[in-house]
Amino acid sequence: MSEKMQQLYNERLRRYQAAIALEMPDRIPISAGSNYFAEVYAGHSNQEFIYDVNKWTEADVKFVNDFPEVDAFRSGRFWGPLHDAVGFNMYKLPGRDLSPRTQFQFVEGERMKADEYDLLINDPVTFLFERFLPRTLNDFKEPGSIRANMALIKGSIASGMMGGFMRNRSIYLQNELGMPNSMGGVFLAPFDYLADGLRGLRGVMLDVRRQPDKILEACDALIPDIVNAGLAIADPLRRSPIFLPLHRGAFPFLSPKQFDELYWPSLKKTMLMFIEAGYTIRAYLEGDWGPNWHHFRELPKGKVLCDIDVQGDIFMAKEELGGYQCIAGGMPDSMLILGTPAEVKERVKLLCETVGKDGGFIINGGCGIPYDARPENFRAMIDAVLEYGRYSDTFDFEIQMNPNPPAGWQPPKRRVATPWEVKLQELGGVKGDEELIRKNWEMLEHMAFNWLFSWMW
Amino acid sequence: MSNLTQLARALVDLDEELVSSLVKQKIEAGEPPLNIIKECNEGMGQIGKLFETNEYYLSELIMSGEILKGVMSELEPLLANVEKDSSSAGVVVIGTVKDDIHDIGKNIVVTLLKGTGFEVVDLGVDVPAETFVKTMRETGAKVLGLSALLNFTFPAMKEVVDQLAAAGLRDKVKVMIGGAPCNEEVRQFAGADFLAKDAATGVSFCKQIYGQN
Repeated sequence: MSEKMQQLYNERLRRYQAAIALEMPDRIPISAGSNYFAEVYAGHSNQEFIYDVNKWTEADVKFVNDFPEVDAFRSGRFWGPLHDAVGFNMYKLPGRDLSPRTQFQFVEGERMKADEYDLLINDPVTFLFERFLPRTLNDFKEPGSIRANMALIKGSIASGMMGGFMRNRSIYLQNELGMPNSMGGVFLAPFDYLADGLRGLRGVMLDVRRQPDKILEACDALIPDIVNAGLAIADPLRRSPIFLPLHRGAFPFLSPKQFDELYWPSLKKTMLMFIEAGYTIRAYLEGDWGPNWHHFRELPKGKVLCDIDVQGDIFMAKEELGGYQCIAGGMPDSMLILGTPAEVKERVKLLCETVGKDGGFIINGGCGIPYDARPENFRAMIDAVLEYGRYSDTFDFEIQMNPNPPAGWQPPKRRVATPWEVKLQELGGVKGDEELIRKNWEMLEHMAFNWLFSWMW
Repeated sequence: MSNLTQLARALVDLDEELVSSLVKQKIEAGEPPLNIIKECNEGMGQIGKLFETNEYYLSELIMSGEILKGVMSELEPLLANVEKDSSSAGVVVIGTVKDDIHDIGKNIVVTLLKGTGFEVVDLGVDVPAETFVKTMRETGAKVLGLSALLNFTFPAMKEVVDQLAAAGLRDKVKVMIGGAPCNEEVRQFAGADFLAKDAATGVSFCKQIYGQN
């Protein structure tokens, strides 16, 4: 990396991290976790972006060159060929199921039955192979068939490729453009695994009434695997927060009582485990989280960046979360799409003078910058932040970067399908260093489990 | 609330077993199925009110729909020769606009509208403008509800309103929009008449148009 890029990278990352940590940077940072706008700004269709990885770099370069004031950046996390390799039916994709210029969309479904909680809790490997995956991966409808075996092989190859693309892209952004990632890795609330991919919204809402104890038991059982799967793809240097899109905890999906009993306890435990591992979190509070903001005050200060969606009131969010967690948002999506640069400027000024004035604020749309944002509005937003969002010329904050977890930290037990002891018995013992063989055997078993787990959302 | 029948009360309490046994008793006693439906509708109306006042949430709404579905499947065989009750509060056409496949919010509105006595023509998701226009012409409904979750749908909403105008129906139809990305700015852009900030205000608007308030 050139010295200039290194300097630029550090400057941006420092500003972003300082805001998350509730320190005062030199100005309000500009960062979307999901910059949908950047995917299509260079002129590509949604389909091109999702299907052709070469377009990623083209799009990133064009965006960063035109908007160098952005401090941390991430776009697109889908690679269509990976979905196609296994027939993943949880999303409709542009150009395949939807018009090429439409965004990808989640498909509701009951991919786990009401009576399958015990199997999920006690034997997730069997649950995944025999129940969930045949319903979720269209190419895996008949486990054991050539088609299904090919799906597993193609899917794992494609996942490896995708990991490589994402890593290269991240390195390119850092070295050639001096741009940090706004997020790395992902996990969901345990309840949302049930409500999104497994039981589906209808299923989980009936379970809330009919078998709440099973929900609680499953949420707790999922935590160790959620944490391990999230850590596996998080930034190894702990610079970027881990992405946490939050779904069914919004008003009016659950009553405050249901939220407190069924949604929050396992989510809080999971978040604390990532924080204890040395990470920060970027949580998208999608929809209206007003009734539940106060819970985020229970977490260590400055560790969870909360994105406030357009249905939430950013001013109220500041009142409830100010001094506890950094918040992001404030720009109505409709204004970025339909408004004028003058309106945008006025709005940014207001945000800078109110929610942004004491730090702990990052400018953004509602959990992202919309695809259809007008470029002149995005530009106006940036210019207005430079004009009204400045705190000082210099600031003290040391970049947080650490390849090691805090002393004494241990990951949750890593799940495998076939324990080493079984393998060792089959081998009838080994002739050299057993540890060397065991370690790698378990690593690959565990990675394979994470791969299976990754299809749950 | 206090003058609800035992069956309606059981439905409001989401007591699945009691609803089921009461319905069975009534069928055995030869009670006309339309009376049973009427009692259930009263319960659903009350559930809608509890939802509007934040005493009930989505799980209660979905659960009540599930219980009602069970009742209807018991009554279905008995309804074949019965004349339909045509005393609806009015017809409302509703759907999620083109290219958007989300329907949770729309389904809440549909449930509340039905609970209030409206006849609802639910066109589903990803509905092209032409289908909305055609249905408005065929049903003669006075209210059209356009739903969306994603923020790329603003032009699709405007397209529906424009096509209604082109078909000469604009002054006969009130258009309301609703869903996560909708606000006053979007309403103006689309040229719609009303912004339903939540399901309950959408229902109130329909009542107002049909002169129920």
